[in-house]
Amino acid sequence: MNIVFKSVLLLLLTIFSHSAYSRPSILEFETEVTVASWLFPESPLYAGQKDNNYSIALESELYAEWDKGDSFVFTPFILLDSYDDNRSHLDIREALYSWYGDDWESSVGIGQVFWGVTESKNLVDIINQFDAVYDPLFKTKLGQPLTNLTLIRDSGYYELFILPYFRERTSPGKKGRLRGDPEFSKGGTKFEGGSQWTPELAVRWSNSFNDYDLSMHSFFGYSRAPSIDVMIVDGQLKYEPNYQRVRQIGGTVQKTSEATLYKMEWLAKDGQKDANFRRGGYFSTVFGFEHTLYKAIDEGGDLGFLMEYNFDSRRSRSNDSLQDDIFIAARITLNDPDDTQMLFGSILDLDGDGQMYQVDFGKRLNDSLTFGVKGAVYQNGRYNSNLYILRQDSWVEINLKQYF
Amino acid sequence: MKNLIKITLFFITTFIFSLSVAFGETPEEKGLRLAIETDLTGDGFIDTVSKSQMTLRNAQGEESIREFSSKTLEVENDGDKSIFIFHHPKDVKGTATLTFTHKTGPDDQWLYLPALKRVKRISSDNRSGAFVGSEFAYEDLASQEIEKYTYKWIEDVPCPGDEQAKCYVSESYPVEKSSGYKRRVSWVDIEEHRVRKIDFYDRKDKLLKTLVFSDYKQYLDKFWTAHTLKMVNHNTGKETDISITETKYQTGLKDSDFNRQSLKRAR
Repeated sequence: MNIVFKSVLLLLLTIFSHSAYSRPSILEFETEVTVASWLFPESPLYAGQKDNNYSIALESELYAEWDKGDSFVFTPFILLDSYDDNRSHLDIREALYSWYGDDWESSVGIGQVFWGVTESKNLVDIINQFDAVYDPLFKTKLGQPLTNLTLIRDSGYYELFILPYFRERTSPGKKGRLRGDPEFSKGGTKFEGGSQWTPELAVRWSNSFNDYDLSMHSFFGYSRAPSIDVMIVDGQLKYEPNYQRVRQIGGTVQKTSEATLYKMEWLAKDGQKDANFRRGGYFSTVFGFEHTLYKAIDEGGDLGFLMEYNFDSRRSRSNDSLQDDIFIAARITLNDPDDTQMLFGSILDLDGDGQMYQVDFGKRLNDSLTFGVKGAVYQNGRYNSNLYILRQDSWVEINLKQYF
Repeated sequence: MKNLIKITLFFITTFIFSLSVAFGETPEEKGLRLAIETDLTGDGFIDTVSKSQMTLRNAQGEESIREFSSKTLEVENDGDKSIFIFHHPKDVKGTATLTFTHKTGPDDQWLYLPALKRVKRISSDNRSGAFVGSEFAYEDLASQEIEKYTYKWIEDVPCPGDEQAKCYVSESYPVEKSSGYKRRVSWVDIEEHRVRKIDFYDRKDKLLKTLVFSDYKQYLDKFWTAHTLKMVNHNTGKETDISITETKYQTGLKDSDFNRQSLKRAR
C-alpha cells in the first residue's frame, strides 16, 4: 500500500505542476463528515469484541477541470472507529486524471467503477474491492488503481481496463463485530499464482437498444471475494484470506417497460476455490424486477416493489451467502422537499439457511446536513454458515452527515 | 318576389360557404396550427445551456432552495436530448439525468448517482411525478413536442396581466396516458408566441396548478426565454419559483455531449 500512496503522491505532484502552467477553468473543493454509531442489541459472541461503537468518517473531494477537457478528481477518505483498529483506515477513493474526445475517453489513477443493474447484489462489479468494514451491506468500494480506455461507437461502448494492483478486502479486527472467530490473521493473506502487483485485465461492451440496456464483460485477475485458509499455528486456529486468479465472463440485461424494470446479471467463473477448497467453474445469476406505483403515497410519494432471485451453481459449497435466495423489498420515495427515502428488504434462503432483513432510511435535515438509519438482522442461519456466524451481530447504524 | 328571396338566400349561403372554406378551421385544426406556429418560433436554436435556481415554498411560507443547470441539444426529426445536473443542496450535488425525448412513444432516461458512480436506466413513466419535491412535474419541464398533445383553440383575449397584448387561449390534451393531466389551458401572445400562463387540470378535470411566465428576454434576435416561472398548486397552497439566472444559445454542444459517458462527467 505504501507504494500505492507514493504513486498517488507522484501523480498529485505531476498534476499540481501541470496546473501551475495552465490554470484550471473549474476548481472545486468539498468535504463531508459523517458521525455514526453502531448499535448491537445482542451481546458479542467472541472474545475481545465490544458492544456498541462510534465512528467518524471524513471524505473530501478536490476537482479540477481544464479548458481542453482534461480533469482531475482526488477523493481521500479516512475513517476512525472507537474500538476496532482494522475498521479505522485511510483510503483514496479516487485520484483520477481523465481526458476525452468526441468518441473516446481515457483515465489513469485510482477510480471507482459501477457496472451492475440489480439491487440485492451486483455480481458483475469486479473492478473495485468492497470496503466491507465501513459498509457491511457491500455498497461502498475501495479505490482501485487503473488505466482505462473507453471507445464510443454506434455499435456500443467498448471499455478496456488494466489494473496494476490488487486491493485486499477490509475485514474487522479482534475488537470488531460482524466477523468470524478468530478474526483474519494479519499479514497472512495469500495471492495464489502471483502477487498484489500481478496485473489484471478487464474488457466490456455495453449498449442500449430501445427499451433494452445490455452489457458483456470479461475479466482476468484476482477474485474479489477471498476463500478462507484454516490453519493451526502453535496449537491455535487461524483464518487467512486467500485470493485466487480467476477468468470470468458475465453480463447484464435491463428492460425498461413503463413502470417496471426487468433486470438480470450473470457470470461464469473459473479458478476460484469453493467452501470445500475445491477449485472449479461455476455459474451465478441474479434476476428480477422492480415495479413502481407512482404517487401511491399521499402527496406524490412513490412506492416500489422489488423481487430478485440469486443463484449460484455451487449451492452450499458457495462462499457467497446469496446462492439460492429470494430478495423481496419495498422502496418508498416521498418526493418531499427533504428527499425522504426508505428501503425495507428481506433475503430468504430457499435452502433453509435463514433470513436476513435490512433497512435503509435517509432524509435531509437542512441544506448541508442529512440523517440516516441503516441496519440488518441475521436470523436462523444453518450451523457454521455465514449467517450463523453473524447470529449475534444484528445491527443498527444511526448517522449524521455534514457537508462543507 | 319569391325568386328574388331565393336568389338572395343562394348568394348569402354561397358567401358563407366560401368564407368557411377560406377560414374554416375547426377549433381543433386552429389549435394545432397555432401550436405548430408557436413551436416553429423555437426551431433552429441548435443548443442551449442554462443555470437555474428553484425556490420551494410550502403553505406556511417555509422555503428551500435547489440549484441546477441544464443542457439541451436540438435533434433533427426527433425530440431534443437534454442533461440536467443538480448543484444544491450538497447531498444531491452531481446527480444528473440524461433524457432522449421522442416525438412518439416513451422517452429514454438515465440517472447518474455520483456516490456510487452508477448510471441507472430509469422509467420515463414517472412524468407526472414531482421534480425534486417541487410543484413542477417532470412533464412540465420536459421538452415540449407537438406530437405529445392534441389541441383545441378556445378564444382570443387580452393577455393575463398585460391587457395591451393579445393572447390566444388554447387547450392541449396529453397523448401519453401516464400524464398527470386531463388538459392544459395556455395563454400565448399572438405577436411573439410567448407562453404567458398555463392552467393544469388533473385527471378528474379539476384545476390543479397555475404556471405564470415572466421576464422574457430575446436571444439572437429570435428566441424568447422566460426568466421567471411561478407555479402555484391550488390544492396544497404550495408554490415553486424558477429563476433562470443564465441562458446561452448555440454554445457549440455536440451529440457526443449527450451520452452515458458524458453524463458521468457532467458538472
